[in-house]
Amino acid sequence: MSRRRLLTSVPALGGLLATGCADALVPPTVRGGLIGAADVLTMSTTRWLMADQPLAREYERSDIAPDFPTWGQTNPDNEDYQRHLSEGFVNWSLPVNGLVGRPRAFSLDELKQLPSRTQITAHVCEQGWSAIGEWTGAPLTQVLEAAGGVSPEARYVVFSAMDRWYESIDMFDVVHPQTILAYRLNGNELPVGNGAPLRLRVERQCGYKNIKFLRSIDVVDSLAGFGRGTGGLSSDFGFHWYGGV
Amino acid sequence: MTSHRSPGAVGSSLLLHSYNVRICHWINVIAGGYLLLSGIHIFLDFPELYWGHTGYQGYPALFKLSDWGLSWDEAGALGNRMWGRNYHFTFAWVFLINGLVYVAWSLARGHVRGRLLPDRSELAPASLKADLVEHLRGPGPKRAAATTYGPLQKLSYSLLIFVFVPVMLLTGLAQAPAFAAAWPWLLDLFGGRQSARTLHAAGTVLFVVFVLVHVVEVLLAGAVNRVRSMITGKFRLPEEGM
Repeated sequence: MSRRRLLTSVPALGGLLATGCADALVPPTVRGGLIGAADVLTMSTTRWLMADQPLAREYERSDIAPDFPTWGQTNPDNEDYQRHLSEGFVNWSLPVNGLVGRPRAFSLDELKQLPSRTQITAHVCEQGWSAIGEWTGAPLTQVLEAAGGVSPEARYVVFSAMDRWYESIDMFDVVHPQTILAYRLNGNELPVGNGAPLRLRVERQCGYKNIKFLRSIDVVDSLAGFGRGTGGLSSDFGFHWYGGV
Repeated sequence: MTSHRSPGAVGSSLLLHSYNVRICHWINVIAGGYLLLSGIHIFLDFPELYWGHTGYQGYPALFKLSDWGLSWDEAGALGNRMWGRNYHFTFAWVFLINGLVYVAWSLARGHVRGRLLPDRSELAPASLKADLVEHLRGPGPKRAAATTYGPLQKLSYSLLIFVFVPVMLLTGLAQAPAFAAAWPWLLDLFGGRQSARTLHAAGTVLFVVFVLVHVVEVLLAGAVNRVRSMITGKFRLPEEGM
């Protein structure tokens, strides 16, 4: 089976389980005690309910929030980011490394030349707010295929940001059609406050997993070596790694 | 040794609550307490409520805590969202599993029909009115001796278990992006994620009211005897009650 075929042939939980991969059901690091047990129950239950990979609801244009809010980091205060911003991100590029056929970097233009997807979805912040926006970007599967496809050992994709944030998602969400690297919001270039030049949209997880200001992508079989190894800065702090609830 | 459910002689005691009811009740107290506290922590981190699918700071709100004297920053300083989220979802599972065990046992043992659900005559307006008048009159020997639930008590427990808890569960799930993707009807049922969140918060207020009334009623109906009957099961029949 070619790598390319593997990537597109795991649409459902059954497929993932058939490949001996329980990653879809259990977080990469299971916390202790009742909280850890609840994490596993929550993730297993929702993934089982989503076994046929449903789309998150897509809304009408008329539902789009009048002024899409910005939250958290809205303008990374570091030299690198400010330089790219002042240059209009023409010298910015996204390295895709790790367990891919041909590790490479993508310029913003190269990402825009890949097949794109536009989706009007609700951004659901774990704090409690939600806002509807129209996101356009390259499906993550398209980006990974353009980098030669992923190896069979690949378990997670790690996203690192220019504000030093990082998050990861498992293959169940990697292969989902709504998982895109967005460069447009509501028909305009992605605003700085919403993560310019590129952010992750992973629509069936809470806002904090939809990491902004992307710097690089790593396809890995182990999350060790990134932060404290839990798979994200928020889970390093003590939040759930799985942001489905 | 007392006999199960027999009124017995004056001044004797009986086993009022089965061990299942007692165990489930106290697990509920712990889970409900954590759910309330952790829910308040989550809310304080974003202390506004909206209606529909959309809601964020600056969007027209139904409720703002800042209108009630606690600013956004003050509320945020009181609330710990991470603690709240971790414990809310943990004790939601404890509450759910405990509730399912209780309902399954109660159905199997005839507890639902036999003791919990009010029958038609108890639901008659005259019956409910008489019960209400008696409650308003305050504690009396008849209530202190009651070994079955009264009409209003049956009605409130039944509504709590079979209407309120499912609504709280579903309004909670509707807010979660994974559940909303799996069950998109959740969003339609409540008219959007923010509506579900608002109903969930309103339900929290109802829950607090229920707990307060419940505790006051227990205190008025013979605190020591009632609490003991929910711990050991043993309920002493008051002499004047017969």
